[in-house]
Amino acid sequence: MPFKFKGGVHPKYMKAPHIPVTVITPPKEVIVPMQMHIGAPCQPLVAVGDKVKMGQKIGDNPSAPLCAAIHSPVSGTVTKIEPRPHPLGDDLMAVVIENDGLDTPSDELKPMTEEELKDPKAILQRMREAGIVGMGGAMFPTEFKLRTGLGKVDTLIINGAECEPYLNGDHLTMLNHPEELLKGIQLARTACGLDKAYYGIEKNKQDAIDLLNSKDPAKYGVEIVPENVKYPQGGEKQQIKAITNREVKPGGLPSGVGCNVISTQTAYAIYRACYEGVPCYGRIMTIAGSGIAAPVNAEVRIGMPFRYIIEQCGGFVREPKKLVMGGPMMGLIISNIDAVNIKGTAGLLVFTEEEDRNVEDPVCINCGQCLQVCPMRLEPTYMYKYFLKGDFEGMMAYHITDCIECGCCSYNCPGRLPLTHSFKTAKILIQNKQREEKARAEALAKEAAK
Amino acid sequence: MAMKERDYVFDASYQPQVRTPRGTSNIMLDVIIALLPALCVGVWAFGMKVVLLLAVSVCSCVFFEWIYRKLMKKPKSIGDLSACVTGLLMTLVMPVNATWWMMIIGAFFAIIVVKQLYGGIGKNFINPALGARAFLLASYSSAMTTWAVPTALAGQVDAETMATPLSYLYADNFTALPDYFSMGNLFLGIRPGCIGEISALAILIGFAYLLIRKVITWRIPVSFVGTVAVLCLIFGKSGTGMNHAEWMLYNVLSGGLLLGAIFMATDYATSPVTPKGQLIYGIGCGAITVLIRYFGSYAEGVTYAILLMNLLAFSLDKHTKVRRFGVSKEDEKAEKEAAKKEAKAS
Repeated sequence: MPFKFKGGVHPKYMKAPHIPVTVITPPKEVIVPMQMHIGAPCQPLVAVGDKVKMGQKIGDNPSAPLCAAIHSPVSGTVTKIEPRPHPLGDDLMAVVIENDGLDTPSDELKPMTEEELKDPKAILQRMREAGIVGMGGAMFPTEFKLRTGLGKVDTLIINGAECEPYLNGDHLTMLNHPEELLKGIQLARTACGLDKAYYGIEKNKQDAIDLLNSKDPAKYGVEIVPENVKYPQGGEKQQIKAITNREVKPGGLPSGVGCNVISTQTAYAIYRACYEGVPCYGRIMTIAGSGIAAPVNAEVRIGMPFRYIIEQCGGFVREPKKLVMGGPMMGLIISNIDAVNIKGTAGLLVFTEEEDRNVEDPVCINCGQCLQVCPMRLEPTYMYKYFLKGDFEGMMAYHITDCIECGCCSYNCPGRLPLTHSFKTAKILIQNKQREEKARAEALAKEAAK
Repeated sequence: MAMKERDYVFDASYQPQVRTPRGTSNIMLDVIIALLPALCVGVWAFGMKVVLLLAVSVCSCVFFEWIYRKLMKKPKSIGDLSACVTGLLMTLVMPVNATWWMMIIGAFFAIIVVKQLYGGIGKNFINPALGARAFLLASYSSAMTTWAVPTALAGQVDAETMATPLSYLYADNFTALPDYFSMGNLFLGIRPGCIGEISALAILIGFAYLLIRKVITWRIPVSFVGTVAVLCLIFGKSGTGMNHAEWMLYNVLSGGLLLGAIFMATDYATSPVTPKGQLIYGIGCGAITVLIRYFGSYAEGVTYAILLMNLLAFSLDKHTKVRRFGVSKEDEKAEKEAAKKEAKAS
């Protein structure tokens, strides 16, 4: 039985896993940003005019420990290397490739041998080479996460909660590739040097739980843990709590309580990289929302402009108001429709007036609902009041930096306050302030030394 | 497809992109629905004058709310229904002997003085309806403490007005309660009193509805009523001929205890939000109610108990912070000790 965490909400799930996966083929021109992970950006390994093959490494930064390689999703010719709109904000350096439509595969990565598949070092090396990152959205390089956890981590958890509304990618991966998924988890477990991994799946995916259980998961050293359906069950800290009853300390890492969490599609990407020699350049993505005619679950490759993806889904059916990358609770707003999808893009949601429940003059009625739903057991109403005053000490006293930005408080707020958004902003301001103070202290120390 | 020619401008507003359909007005509507049983009992017991008082009260509350926001050039707020709730609650805590113009004065005090001058919904520091009641009680004490005979007792009481069970219980020279103040009658609402407070049954139905709709939690009502019950059970009262349990039940069922504990003490703006804070607040309300009933010259203590505890709501929140995720009890202790040491050092 999974352990329970306090708080959480039950948004309308709007999931459509019964819609079969369609393939969206890449456009004539694909744009591959050189940053699709947390860490140092990649340097382009190709030049304008170079011919590239599908799966060929085109970006890397071998000297940086925290980095993940980037591969071409198509075969064709490099036409430009220049800054292009990035979904996370500004324009970032990208390799633009003219797609020849042939999808000629590269043979850089070969399927690993039987022995290699049992060697933790070889698996980790392959993860680095294949550019595997956390596909849940955070895009943290998986190799780094697993390697730095070695010796500290006694429990590997695979996150199959997929608690965000709308998204179906993980669910469909479980249904379509159960054995491959189990093999992928086995590889991740081997890389961590553990004999068991736990796979937490929310009970609203009972068909997937049954299917995986029928494939003898124990053979792969995997235990399936059905979990309660509650957002944010798939939050890293909540997932650890649900499976081990351990609570990650404020400001601490999962490895601090001996846990590492990787997502479902990451495990599948590990399988593809090791068994098939296919690097990480594709995933399943859900395109939905009231601005799209019908929700689509699509197999996509990276580097496709959102404008193209929406066109392939039949365009907008209503005046769009918001573009969201990821799920509606934690997803990021896209301001430029020409930005492209990247490794962590689990969904593209087009929202119209229909989903909009913001009001012009949000008012706090002090109902305390935000406290009841906060999975980190914080007090959003007071954090917000101190935020409005610009009182940093007050915000720190209410532990604003513990906020995981899950959106539960805002979701449930009857007064429609921009709670989560404010805390996000406040955290950035606090970080900047601390940095400034540190710099000032250092400057003073230097002065004194003179 | 016309997409290529157009540049789309997207709303860059905040996360999350979906929100619960339940807004402030839905919550207020739930409170109104929860109050309907008590209101119906009031109309049944005291006749159509209740409807007149209610209409005056609600209309003037909404009017004052609207005119104040308009004159002060603030965003409109009557749509959130909170003024309606105030008007309804104020009617329910009035005796039917109140006059219609008292309702207007009460509405002015509740909406303008207590609520809007402090910034409107969520910012008032005492409960508007109770504030108005306390104000009217001080200004028109005779009209506010004269109790009409409910319809069901018209045959048994040969007078225009009668005494409430509480005034029997706390009379200086105790006389036994008349037969018609049986426990069953008090539970159903066959007794004199304020319009909405007489039927425990109707109020409990409302309570159940509020709990089901998750408008309030059990903490404040249960700790409030529980404290009154426990204190009455322990101390009892000599010379009444009742055993402690009977005494306790009469105390719980008479006066405005249930209405106050369920609908007044749980007012969002004036009660704490932390679980521990809510429990302490409820216990405080209960203890003050008992103190006023036992030692005050006025038999009804709920109004003042709640108003007094309203003032402590913020401090209670401040001193009963929730234990965060990832912080064990030991961590919390260590944190507190470190803070103490630091305070000493500086």
